[in-house]
Amino acid sequence: MQASLPSSQDYAARKRLQPWLVNGAMILIVALLMLPIALTLSTSFKREQDVLRKPPVLFPCDGPNGQFRLSECRFDVEGYERVIAPRPDPNSPLGFSLTGRMFSTYVPNTLLYAFVSSALVFVLSGFAGYAFSRYRFRGRRALMVAILAITGIPLLTNLLALYQMAVDLRKAGIPGYDERMFIIAVYVGFQLPFSVWIVKGFFDTIPRELEEAAFIDGCTPIGALWRIVVPLAMPGLLAAFLLCFVNVWNEFIAGYLLITKRDLRTVMFGMYDFLSQNIINYQVVAAACVLIAAPVVILFLFTRKTFFQAMTEGAVKG
Amino acid sequence: MATPAQTASTSTRTASKRVRQGGFFNQTLPFWLLLPTLLILAAIQFYPGFYSIWLSFHERQGAVWNFVGLRNFERVFGSAIFRESVGHTVVFLIGYIVVTMTASLAIALLLNRKLKLSGVYISLIFIPWVIADVIAGLVFGLLVVPDYGLLSPILSNPTLFPPNGLSIPSDPAPRPWIPGFPFPPAPAMYYLILATSWRALPFVTLLILAALKTVPQEIIESARIDGASSAQALRFITLPLILPTLVVALFSLILGGMNGIGLVFTLTRGGPGTATEVLSFLLYTIGFSRLEFGRAAALSVFIAVINLTLIVLTLRFSRTEERAA
Repeated sequence: MQASLPSSQDYAARKRLQPWLVNGAMILIVALLMLPIALTLSTSFKREQDVLRKPPVLFPCDGPNGQFRLSECRFDVEGYERVIAPRPDPNSPLGFSLTGRMFSTYVPNTLLYAFVSSALVFVLSGFAGYAFSRYRFRGRRALMVAILAITGIPLLTNLLALYQMAVDLRKAGIPGYDERMFIIAVYVGFQLPFSVWIVKGFFDTIPRELEEAAFIDGCTPIGALWRIVVPLAMPGLLAAFLLCFVNVWNEFIAGYLLITKRDLRTVMFGMYDFLSQNIINYQVVAAACVLIAAPVVILFLFTRKTFFQAMTEGAVKG
Repeated sequence: MATPAQTASTSTRTASKRVRQGGFFNQTLPFWLLLPTLLILAAIQFYPGFYSIWLSFHERQGAVWNFVGLRNFERVFGSAIFRESVGHTVVFLIGYIVVTMTASLAIALLLNRKLKLSGVYISLIFIPWVIADVIAGLVFGLLVVPDYGLLSPILSNPTLFPPNGLSIPSDPAPRPWIPGFPFPPAPAMYYLILATSWRALPFVTLLILAALKTVPQEIIESARIDGASSAQALRFITLPLILPTLVVALFSLILGGMNGIGLVFTLTRGGPGTATEVLSFLLYTIGFSRLEFGRAAALSVFIAVINLTLIVLTLRFSRTEERAA
């Protein structure tokens, strides 16, 4: 019995060995997880004749004898050109305009929805987070738990009612009503609960003494919020903005069902639409995937610290 | 602990004293700060919730909605496709949870070893989470297109997948082991589980990693020096300590899995046949393809009840009451 117990020296030896193994395992895992993305990238740069080959080739680099030769590689941006469809346009400042529906219609629409709803979430979650963090009032606790509970409610079960509300609103003929207002309200309504919690958490970490000092200097509560708390809680507010932006960019079903005018639809509808149009042109579908996923992936990579902070913050709370 | 709490309460008192000195607006400031948020939540979350319940008791005939009592519920719950869909959802959720939880826990344990490249790994692993479900569905769909998809040489290999190779978009489910319960599922269901897990894995990994960081290393070190194997240390020290997080992750996975629809939309569309017709997609099919609104609303009330149960359980486990302080 005694002899079979590993000594502390054994343990130290095992510990030294591990980094290689662990790094190796991690590289393997990361490679596996990145595989679908890598394969999509490779498909997106192929030509139509190389996409439609049996058996499929990973790299379109084989010569006439089937040998792999780097000089034979036929990488092409045809797929991308067909998504973007640039046409010379003397009226445009760039000298050309993007005529593909994706970039002429869906991307600008989604950018509008994402920016407006993120800005609203930024402001409203700032207000609500401040109220929850700095004031004690009756019903505060119940309200906070209610808002946290709503965080978990997915869009799906409200979808039918929201659809019917959109129909009712269109029929009501309110002057100045626009479908875009409703979809933005829906996005804000679904992003707000989580954002309020993130922002409240960040506000909680800011010492109240700073505001006290501002009050003594004659600052109003709103002034203190704007001049002292907001700049210090910027990471939290930015996280709320970014999370909302990415979620709205990626949102499909609400945009698809709640917007009736084709000209107002979103990028994810555009992606879904591609499926029906380019059933054989896989390089076009792949190129569209790359083009539409790239902005948020790049945004995420540049701001990942903010994301992780906010998500673990929210996650710890449930 | 006591000192910051005390300072906090004193400063709250001074703050409210300060506020009391202000005018009506400043006195009622928290109300005005919360008002826009509460209005939006009332319009987009509460009202539609009750509207769904109202819809589930009505049926549209022409331009009017007639009260039909429980008939929508009877029709939905009595239909064969609903029972089948519950089976698909159960199979999907179990597969999705097992795959995601195991993989996330393994990756989080590896990442917790303070590797030099941890930051790089986490950033790369996280990319699937940023990719939209619709795009993930397209990406995974392209890989398995018969003959042309890049994975098709592997899938159509008869030695790997006897007897004739595998065609994920079209192969039906084998004969079920228990009549009426769709297990084993169609290849498309395995693939749907794989694709959904791919997207959910980063978030759960991050959750578990954050929890692992709170486990004191000294306890594990001393257990290891006392002769515990790493498996024992994991089983008897680490796992019990991170259990609350694992439970929260589990509930959030069930919630996401029950209600996710974008991936089904672009990957399988419920097919082949009805082999991947999970409840979320059935809701879409009934409501927006067959335009039976009342029945779809009944189904959404059913899903909402499950969601609410899960949410309440999550709140219990994460002890939110304390954190709301």
